[in-house]
Amino acid sequence: MPIPTPLVKKLVQIPIFGGLTVPEAAEFFEVAVEVSEPKGKVLFREGDESDALWVVLEGSVTVSRKGVELAQVGRHAVLGEMTLVDERETRSATATALEDVKLLKVPSKRVQKLLKADNVAVLKVVANLAQVMSKRLAAINEKLVSTLGDKSKKREELADFNRILTRWEF
Amino acid sequence: MTSAEAAQHYFTKAARIMDVGERIETLLSTPLREVGVQVSIELDNGEIRTFRGYRVQHDNARGPMKGGLRYHLDVDHSEMLGLASLMTWKTAVVNLPFGGSKGGIAVDPSTLSIKELERLTRKYVDQVQDVIGPTRDVPGPDINTNPQVMAWVMDQYSRYHGHSPAVVTGKPLELYGCRGRDTATARGLLSICREILKDVGMPMAGTRFAVQGFGNVGSHSARLFAADGGLIVAVSDVHGGVKNPSGLDVPALFDHVKRTGTVKGFSGGDACSNEEVLTSDCDVLVPAAVGGVLTAPIARAVRARIVLEGANGPSTPEADDVFEQRGVLVVPDILANAGGVTVSYFEWVQNLQHMTWEEERVSTELERVMREAYEKVGQISRSRNLPLRTSAYVLAIGRVGKATVLRGI
Repeated sequence: MPIPTPLVKKLVQIPIFGGLTVPEAAEFFEVAVEVSEPKGKVLFREGDESDALWVVLEGSVTVSRKGVELAQVGRHAVLGEMTLVDERETRSATATALEDVKLLKVPSKRVQKLLKADNVAVLKVVANLAQVMSKRLAAINEKLVSTLGDKSKKREELADFNRILTRWEF
Repeated sequence: MTSAEAAQHYFTKAARIMDVGERIETLLSTPLREVGVQVSIELDNGEIRTFRGYRVQHDNARGPMKGGLRYHLDVDHSEMLGLASLMTWKTAVVNLPFGGSKGGIAVDPSTLSIKELERLTRKYVDQVQDVIGPTRDVPGPDINTNPQVMAWVMDQYSRYHGHSPAVVTGKPLELYGCRGRDTATARGLLSICREILKDVGMPMAGTRFAVQGFGNVGSHSARLFAADGGLIVAVSDVHGGVKNPSGLDVPALFDHVKRTGTVKGFSGGDACSNEEVLTSDCDVLVPAAVGGVLTAPIARAVRARIVLEGANGPSTPEADDVFEQRGVLVVPDILANAGGVTVSYFEWVQNLQHMTWEEERVSTELERVMREAYEKVGQISRSRNLPLRTSAYVLAIGRVGKATVLRGI
């Protein structure tokens, strides 16, 4: 089922598909299928086999890991993008529809096949993915620093108290 | 507000002034260990009676914990906790190498025979012997416990751990007790009184004292103040009071008390009520009975320039505010009556060293400890413009805090 050109034009505006020409994108999405799911439907579970890359076309989805919500994503968000680079072939998180959703599903096998063939479209997507990952890593680093920062602040609580004590003569 | 709640109130007030932060406040006020035990004994008539016993250990940063053993129906867990923390601050104010604790049994000992009281005491020791000890927690006498009870504590503990006189203080003189213990609190009051009179430029000779309460603390204080040149213008006990603006004849008053068991009816003065003693025309008021007698209305009527708290918690926090507003100098309980625990410390020291001090050494050392504590509290009070009570708590928190920081948590 070919993806209609107006949708392809919209898809190339999503960062991870940025830089793809419309024909390249059309090739990438050649075997993609549009899927509609009702509210509450689990799209995939943590530990499931990674069989596809998803693009949210309508509605919103919650992503969680070990019961902790990692994010809520909406229109044009990409899920399961790790399937492009991760050799582990299982899902690292669970995705659940928060409302009735419409999604585009790109089978992993298709992506892997194109990658092995040095397909320009997929290489561009992987390059984009590297950028997205790099931004995420920076954000995680930031969070890590602030968490460790809290710990060092906690360690200083006793030292702070000691400093208060030195201001008095006992 | 119980005296335990009042102590927590003053602690919090001082901690906020020092700005130690909520978590340090919690660290300092949370007790180290709280033990509740079943104390079951067989009465003389064969009946089984079960009492609740407690030992609350508040803080040991500065050393083994120290605190009284109380036999009273009001004894419960929260009361023990408040009194244990009060001991932490008191031992710190006078700079003894002790922490604070408190224990007791919820019992009216007047309903027990001497044999029952002994069984009760020994059973209690059976239940807490693994948490007390000369290097852990050292009980002492408190309400309704006396040197005989302390002797039983020592004996019972020693059955488990070998000869251990230093496990408890306030023992009889014939059994590792300390000379001068009876008069310790009063002597401490006298030392502090001398210092504060010096500070305000009043000579002891001719200074007029009103003493409320004529038990161990009150009676010995009256005797010592009079011997030092002071005039005792009013005294009272639970039965009533007596006053004489030109000074009571204290030795004659002692004879009267010995004969009748009360100061009431002493011919050397006019009869008066307990409250009249508190508001009598005097320079120094010494509340030496129970807690909470100085309420805000009474505090407004107090005519003394100095209040020397011989009892624990005689002023309510509201009364304390009134005194502060009126410029009445209040020497707080945790400083003023710390002579008792100080001599307990001397007893512990002697027991550990297998030595006996002469009474004169006890008095000299006690005076030094009290003088140094007063000096430190006074320094903080002057440099920070704080009342003596808050200054004493600041000093205590500082010393306990420093030890806690140095040892690490």
